[in-house]
Amino acid sequence: MALQNEDKLEVGYSSLHPKPKKWVLLMLRLLAFFATAAATVVMGLNKETKTLVVATVGTTPIKASLTAKFQHTPAFVFFVIANGLASIHNLVMIMADLFGQKLDYKGLRLAMIAILDMMTVALVSGGASAAAFMAELGKNGNSHARWNSICDKYKTFCDHGGGALIASFAGLILMLIISVMSIIKLLIKPKPDDELESTGLIPSGVNACRFNSELGKNGKSHARWKKIC
Amino acid sequence: MVKPKRLLSLLLRIIVLGATLAAVIIMATSHEKGTFFALSYEAKYSDTPAFKFFVIANAIVTVYGFLVLFIPSESQLWGLVLALDLVLTMLLISSISAALAVAQVGKKGNSSAGWLPVCGQVTKYCNQVSGALVAGFIAIITYIILLLYSIYTFLNPLLGKNG
Repeated sequence: MALQNEDKLEVGYSSLHPKPKKWVLLMLRLLAFFATAAATVVMGLNKETKTLVVATVGTTPIKASLTAKFQHTPAFVFFVIANGLASIHNLVMIMADLFGQKLDYKGLRLAMIAILDMMTVALVSGGASAAAFMAELGKNGNSHARWNSICDKYKTFCDHGGGALIASFAGLILMLIISVMSIIKLLIKPKPDDELESTGLIPSGVNACRFNSELGKNGKSHARWKKIC
Repeated sequence: MVKPKRLLSLLLRIIVLGATLAAVIIMATSHEKGTFFALSYEAKYSDTPAFKFFVIANAIVTVYGFLVLFIPSESQLWGLVLALDLVLTMLLISSISAALAVAQVGKKGNSSAGWLPVCGQVTKYCNQVSGALVAGFIAIITYIILLLYSIYTFLNPLLGKNG
C-alpha cells in the first residue's frame, strides 16, 4: 500500500509544476515571431520612387519617374516569402504551445516540432543570406561586370532593406536557439510520466493518477493499467 | 562487422564530401579572359563576394567531412558532430542561396537597376559556375538527408523500444 501511494505522489508531481524552460521557449518564439514579421513587413513595403527630369522640350521639363521595388529582385522576393513563412510557423508554434498541449500524433509531437523548426531555420537562413548578398551588390556594385551601385540614388530603399535584413538576422539567431532547444527537449531522457506514455500502454495525454497494485518498481512490467482518479 | 546504420551514414558522408569538394574545385577554377569591343576583361570567381563565400563555406564543410570520417564508431564525439552538422547545414544553405542569387543576376540581368547580363560574353565561366552550383545543391540535399538520419539514429536508443 505504501508503495502505491509513493508512486502516485511521484507520478503526479511532474504534471503539476511546469518547467521554467517552457516560458523561456515561449518568449523566444514570440521574439522570433516579431523579428521575422517585422522583416517581412518592412521589406514588403519597401518602395521608392524618384522623378528625374529627362529632357526639356521648350520650357516644359519632361519628367520620368523610376521606382525601386522589392519585386524587381528575385532574391528579395524569396526573402519576403521565407520570412513570411517563418512568421506563420512561429505563430502556429506559439498557438500550439499555449492552446494545444494535448495535440499529439503517435507520440511524434516533439519530433515534428524539432524537424519543423530546423526546416524553418534553413529557409530563413537561405532567404536572409541571398538578400544580404544582393544588398551588398546594390551597395557596392561590381566593377568587373560593369554594374553600378544603386544605393546612392535610392537611399531610402537601401536603408529600409538594411533594416529588414537586420531584423531577419536577429530572427534567424533566435530561431537557431529555439531549434537547438527543441532538439534538446527531444533528446533528454523522458520523465516517469513520459516514460509510461512511451511504452504505449497509457494513451498519451492522460495523467495516470493511480495504478493497479500490479505495478512493478520500474513501472515497465506487464501490468494492467487502470486510470483511477 | 560494420553495422548497416553506420554504413549508410558513412556512405552519405562520402557523397557529401565528394560533392562539396567538386563544388570548391569547379568554382575555384572558373575563370575566363576575353575581349568585348576592345575592352578586355577577366571573369574570376573572386570578383563576387557571394562566390567567395560559396567557396569558403564548401571548403570548410569538405575539411570537416574529411575529419569526421576518422572518428571511431562509439566515441562520445558524435553528439558534437550532430550539433556541428546542424550549423554547417545552415552555412551550406546560406552559401548556395547567395551564390544562386548573384548568378541569377549575372544570367538574366536586372533591368530596373540597369545591370546587363554578363553570361553572353563569358559563357565558359557561366557554365562552370552553374556546374559548381549543381554540385552544391547535391551536397546540401544529401547533407539534409544525413542530418535527419543522424538525428533518427541518435534518438532511437533514447526513445525506448515501444515498437
